[in-house]
Amino acid sequence: MASNSGKSTGTRPLWLTVLGFVTLAAFLVGAWYALVMAPTEVTQQELFRITYTHASVAAVALAATILTAVFGAMVLWRGKPIDDVRTVAAAEVTTVFLAVTVIGGMIYSKPTLGAYWAWDARITLSGIMLVLMVGYFVVRGMIGDPLRAARVSAVVALIVAAGAPLNRAATSMFRTVHPARSADMPAELQFVLIINMVAALLVFAWFFLERARLGAIEARLEAEREGLEAGSSSVKEVVNV
Amino acid sequence: MEAFRGAGDLRAIGVILMKDLRQELRSRTVLTATVFFAAVTLVIMGFAVGGQPDVLRVVAPGVLWVALAFAGVITASQSWVNELEDGALEQLTMYPVPRATLYLGKVLANWIYLAALAILLVPVTVVLYDVQIGGRWPLLFLVLLLGTLAFSLVGTFYAALTVTLRARESLLPLLMFPIIIPALLAAVGASTELMYFADTVKAFDWLQLLVAFVLAYGVLCTAVFHFLVEE
Repeated sequence: MASNSGKSTGTRPLWLTVLGFVTLAAFLVGAWYALVMAPTEVTQQELFRITYTHASVAAVALAATILTAVFGAMVLWRGKPIDDVRTVAAAEVTTVFLAVTVIGGMIYSKPTLGAYWAWDARITLSGIMLVLMVGYFVVRGMIGDPLRAARVSAVVALIVAAGAPLNRAATSMFRTVHPARSADMPAELQFVLIINMVAALLVFAWFFLERARLGAIEARLEAEREGLEAGSSSVKEVVNV
Repeated sequence: MEAFRGAGDLRAIGVILMKDLRQELRSRTVLTATVFFAAVTLVIMGFAVGGQPDVLRVVAPGVLWVALAFAGVITASQSWVNELEDGALEQLTMYPVPRATLYLGKVLANWIYLAALAILLVPVTVVLYDVQIGGRWPLLFLVLLLGTLAFSLVGTFYAALTVTLRARESLLPLLMFPIIIPALLAAVGASTELMYFADTVKAFDWLQLLVAFVLAYGVLCTAVFHFLVEE
């Protein structure tokens, strides 16, 4: 069963392994620039260094909710198994990135704004998006039929992404105590931010590609298993032995 | 994606709406479930925040909309639970009209219940929380209509999804509340401007957001609804 084609053996392609090491290198360079190379910021001192990671991860996380919805739309539009695999992969990595955004934001918020949760617009936005993405997995887990689960959770992914601009508008009207945007940064600090932004993008891309690859293998295995169960009893006996 | 084919589909929406309203007039399940529940929420929140007049006036719009959001869960859930009996939902989906007509008919029915409830609750809020509305009531009326429409659009949509699932009572608010946060913020924001600060200009800013929410989710939910009830 395991050796019908080279594809289902599940070895990671070389380019993905290389991308993994490039990602690791980018992450280390980004961290080194943020922690060592970047000059100390005038007002927030050393505390400012968390911005480089936090802002990068936050930007990637919010963009990734849109990416998840795009894959969700593919599920509804053409409904190939790979579309669902990609939607799940994107949703999982997005959820992790949103969680990291919220945690990073809270760590940054305590010393600067005085509370872990200061109801600031942009952290609140990330928090809402995190809860919405969790809803994707809740729906998925509740529906037994995998085809229906794929389609219904794809609908949820679309609804979640549609909420992003509205939540952005609502939370910014609601309250804004967030530090200034990165555009006000000196060029020297912006450079460090850009390196970290690239690193965050690479980390997302690598996690997503690897998760999608594993998901595809899982889906193929599941399909093979079902094919065997649906097949003649003699095949079943062979498998059971 | 199913397109609307004009008058026939509008009639189908009207038929669903009238069916739901007639069912409610005969059974009064939603009415009894929501009116007293929402009124009790207003009373208990009054006790919970301590009963000081200045605090009560500040929290009144928020409490009103929380009561409406909870009631919105009940109305949305009930409108699909009704269809579970005797395979009514399967019958409904067999008619040769787009599934979205089913959704829109129920959205309208739930909107009517919620808007009526909102209009009932405002005088109760005025009395219990001592708020001043003055000449700003037409605008407050508009906020109530748009806010309850926003709740109805999202609630009816997600209730169709959760009604066939095991843990539907806890699942619906879990899915619905995070989605309606922008609408809730806008509705509470506009109501606070009208009931507390007496600032109609700022209320309009919030109203715009509420309109954007209703348009965005109205279109999206209608477009993808048929994926929820396939089977």
